[in-house]
Amino acid sequence: MAHGFDAWILTLTTFTPIVGLALVLLIPKVEEELIKLVTLLTTLVTLGFSLYVLKNFDFDHTAKLQFEVKKTWIEVINSNYHIGVDGISLPMLVLSAFITVLCVIYSWNHFPEPHNVKAFLALILLLEVGMNGTFIAQDLILFFIFFEIVLLPMYFMIGVWGGPNREYASIKFFLFTLFGSALMLLSFLAIFFKVKNGQGLHTFDIPELIAAGKGGITHGVQLIIFGGMFIGFAIKVPMFPFHTWLPDAHTEAPTVGSVLLAAILLKLGTYGFIRIALPILPEAAKSWAPWIGLLAVIGIIYGALGCLAQTDMKRLIAFSSVSHMGYVMLGIASLTSFGINAAVFGMVAHGLITGMLFFIAGSVQHTFHTREMSRLGGLLTQAPKMGWILGFCAMASLGLPGLAGFWGEFPAILSVFKPADGLSLPVFRTYMVIAAIGTVLAAGYLLWMLQKVAFGTPKDEWKDTHVHDVGPQEWMAWLPLLLLIVVLGVVPGLMFKTTDGAVKQMVDKAFPTKVEKGVAEKQPEAKSPAIYVKHLGR
Amino acid sequence: MIAALANPHVDFLALSPEIALTATIVLVLVADLILPERSTWQTSRIASLGTLVSLAFVAVLENHSAIHGLFGGAYAVDRYALALKGFFLVATYVTILISVDYIGEGDYYEGEFYFLLLCSVLGMTVMASARDLISLFVALETISIPTYVLAGFRKHDRRSNEAAIKYYLIGAISSAVMLYGMSMIFGLTGETKLSAIALKVSALPDSKVLAVAIFLSLLGFAFKVSAVPFHWWAPDTYEGAPTPVTAFLSVASKAGGFVAMLNIIFFGFGGKAGMWWLVIWVLAGLSMTLGNLTALKQTNIVRMLAYSSVAQGGFMLVPFAAYGIAQSHHQTDVARSAFQSVIVYLLVYGAMNLGAFACIIAVARRTKSGEITSFSGLFQHSPVITVLMSIFLASLAGIPPFAGWFAKFTMFRAAINAGGWAGVTIAIVAGVNSVIAAFYYLNVVRNMWFRPAADDAQPVQIPGALRAALVVCTGLVVAVGVYPSIFGDIADVATKTFG
Amino acid sequence: MIALLSDQHASSELTEYYRQYLSVGVFVLASLVMVGAMLGVGYFLRPTRPQDQKYITYESGSDPFGTFGQQNVRYYVYALMFVIFDVEAVFVFPWALNADGASHGGLGWFGFIEIFVFVAILVAGLAYLWRKRLLKWA
Repeated sequence: MAHGFDAWILTLTTFTPIVGLALVLLIPKVEEELIKLVTLLTTLVTLGFSLYVLKNFDFDHTAKLQFEVKKTWIEVINSNYHIGVDGISLPMLVLSAFITVLCVIYSWNHFPEPHNVKAFLALILLLEVGMNGTFIAQDLILFFIFFEIVLLPMYFMIGVWGGPNREYASIKFFLFTLFGSALMLLSFLAIFFKVKNGQGLHTFDIPELIAAGKGGITHGVQLIIFGGMFIGFAIKVPMFPFHTWLPDAHTEAPTVGSVLLAAILLKLGTYGFIRIALPILPEAAKSWAPWIGLLAVIGIIYGALGCLAQTDMKRLIAFSSVSHMGYVMLGIASLTSFGINAAVFGMVAHGLITGMLFFIAGSVQHTFHTREMSRLGGLLTQAPKMGWILGFCAMASLGLPGLAGFWGEFPAILSVFKPADGLSLPVFRTYMVIAAIGTVLAAGYLLWMLQKVAFGTPKDEWKDTHVHDVGPQEWMAWLPLLLLIVVLGVVPGLMFKTTDGAVKQMVDKAFPTKVEKGVAEKQPEAKSPAIYVKHLGR
Repeated sequence: MIAALANPHVDFLALSPEIALTATIVLVLVADLILPERSTWQTSRIASLGTLVSLAFVAVLENHSAIHGLFGGAYAVDRYALALKGFFLVATYVTILISVDYIGEGDYYEGEFYFLLLCSVLGMTVMASARDLISLFVALETISIPTYVLAGFRKHDRRSNEAAIKYYLIGAISSAVMLYGMSMIFGLTGETKLSAIALKVSALPDSKVLAVAIFLSLLGFAFKVSAVPFHWWAPDTYEGAPTPVTAFLSVASKAGGFVAMLNIIFFGFGGKAGMWWLVIWVLAGLSMTLGNLTALKQTNIVRMLAYSSVAQGGFMLVPFAAYGIAQSHHQTDVARSAFQSVIVYLLVYGAMNLGAFACIIAVARRTKSGEITSFSGLFQHSPVITVLMSIFLASLAGIPPFAGWFAKFTMFRAAINAGGWAGVTIAIVAGVNSVIAAFYYLNVVRNMWFRPAADDAQPVQIPGALRAALVVCTGLVVAVGVYPSIFGDIADVATKTFG
Repeated sequence: MIALLSDQHASSELTEYYRQYLSVGVFVLASLVMVGAMLGVGYFLRPTRPQDQKYITYESGSDPFGTFGQQNVRYYVYALMFVIFDVEAVFVFPWALNADGASHGGLGWFGFIEIFVFVAILVAGLAYLWRKRLLKWA
């Protein structure tokens, strides 16, 4: 347990936006500049807190929960306000605080209709509470609450500031997620009643549940409980065939909403798998893994093919999300520490890259008032900076080595070469081959988009329009993202170092390898892709 | 005979909330006679003050640790009863707050309104304590009869008349059916006290007579709490009655029926759960599903909330079914969670539903319409009421961090705890239904936030009393949602009641 | 009834139970004989002079034919008032029998105050009726 200021730091990181929200609500609607300033300061302070966590995080013990706090919350059901970060949640927490700041900066002069600055920024702040909270929660009920808090702000963001089809998209987003979380909650309850902690009490505490093991749950019941969680998380990810809300939501959402949705909200689902579903129900996870893997590769290919069929730039990026999250899920389905490390990296990389792509799509729409790729073209001549950034992001997204995207995608594919013990090798190697084909398709659709939007000459209707290139606000919002994409691409060890300890401990506990330790050490290092990549990474 | 009437030992402190209420009722009536026509609104003040005084007595009793049983155990003043009395009184206070302007501005008899309201509340406070078939029945009738009149309070409106007559006829029939069942129970056991009935009933063999007796009593309650298929009176009554009365009917009056059911099922029929759980299970499933599906199609917001309250009633029946399932398998630890769940659900439902009605009344003061489309574009000119209404609707849909999630959560918990195919099935049905429900609640939200306002739309002005009601409801909904342990006492209640 | 369901001598008690209906049967038979006797004697003794008016249904002085025989709502007010004060008597009589001082085993001052409160509440009701002019017909 943490003491002094350290005991408060995570709470502050999560709830500072609430204070900002209260202030924003008190300021009259017309004082737009003041509202923007207060919001920016709030998110900056929140980011500051999260950086404090990053700075004081003990990287030698990433598997240990740090800055941990456990206070009684709902006594009746033995649910506690239990928060803490380990190597898996830390990058997500910082990413969330970081992206929110960039979103506030970007929206400074990019407010979608109907303007209403006050409500828009208030919702962003509320959203941040839910996002940050989900990544620090160590109690199932607390996790559930934060997981749900993000629903309403995003619903309003899409519904009020969204595109022409916003009503449909927002309610679809909402109902899909709500349905998943209802099943998820039932699964949580089932675990609660089936498992007892060290003191013989029923508990919602995640570490306690992991420590308690599967308890006396029969395999069949485990499978059902895992199924409930699977649907809850898979909808959020979103995995094929639960992905249909995503293209609609992304297409209609305002730019900032899309960025937050892609960068953080989707990660809540994959994070849930890694934090909750796998470690608490490892046996069921093992039985489910081939199916998760199957859906993941279907998602990869389906998403990629879907991209090729799009005419709308934003919709294309949305489908590419389905494809990329497929890689993340494939890494998770391997049930190896290698694959899950790759998945966490993939989550962060996808957050940065796709967030960036959505920013560009937003700016393109802001300038041309359309995202139809057939009407666009020649961005490189009209707005060369934006064009180059788009090219850069497309390269990062297709997994060019040296940029962040590579480290999420490539190890994830490699990891299924040798999945956890007990998983069928032929099946997973088939997945590997299919996923590899997916990377080719990814290159295909991203370059196709780049060609349509950036290359060539401007279409006649834009010939005489003066196009604003990347402005100062945009630089401020984008530069950090671009830098991080490069830095993480060149020094992936920064991330792997953080996540590895935590992931390894989780995997060792949940999916212990049957091979004797001595034998494992005798294997030549170079033969294991995991060790190879890890060395490369460091 | 005569000796039996010797000086009884009455614990006046234990009865103080009811005595305070009765005094208030008489005062309201007398004040209405004395006051000149233009200041009859003062009766609302007397009524709300009296409610608060009564509430204060409940608080005093709450700190009085001893548990009182009066009249040979037929009337219990334990923590469970006190918690519910507190709830009823707070709900009444809020109802009075949302009524003041509505009743004052309309062409209504003011004194009589509060008089009847308080009479009904008196029945509710008695109901919370009733542990005997006779006091239970008397309490239920005391709750119901004034509400028949209240439902018809818009005297010159045919719909209101229809509402009243429908409500009255259904009420009378259900009372008769229930009384018939109760008389059979009495015939079989020779007892009216629930604790004694519980003992005798458990010892009886399963017989058709007993099944019919239990079935008829439950049927009566099914009418009272408007469970499908005995719900069809509710939408017409709710729509026709004056809106504050609808709020009162859908919250307090319904809660009265549920409390009666709690008493009779948990204190009386527990031993014979195998005979009735399936009935409740089916009622719960039907109420949730049909209530929600019908609510989807409504265009009038009060009617929508009426069907939603049918569905919410279905959710509240789930813990009863869970308790029955568990009891029939002699698995006793579910009693606690089921009992807690019903009470938590009642309290939370009361806060959020009253809040929603308060918003509707506030908006309807300007728009003079009950159509959902009349909420269009509310966000553009009246953001505060929009946010509040959204909070209440989100809470009704069970979305954290508003209180509704905790109510739904405890309901799920009871069902999963009961386990078995029946428990899991009803939990999944409830889960699917909460998604359906979210759709129509959000439909209102969508109208308020996403649609353009009419050109001549004016901001909604919220009078002081309504504002106070909204503050109370919002405070409860948010506070309970974020920190559900506020209801810590309720855990206590269940622990004390079930060892 | 309880004995019926639980006792082991059920069959013998059952016969005993049905035997009690015998007296009911005798009573029914006797009443039929009585009614028959009275009507029969009248039939034989009375003179027979048929008139149209004698065949009209008689209903408290009002015409039973024509429009639907709706009663004036004010009748209900009187009926209700009658019931209220009639029921009041049911409560007051037992009190009167026990109104003796507490030292004599009666209700004493406690009872006095209590009945006073009870009557006062009813008086408030009466005052309400009066003030709302429900005691007047017009």
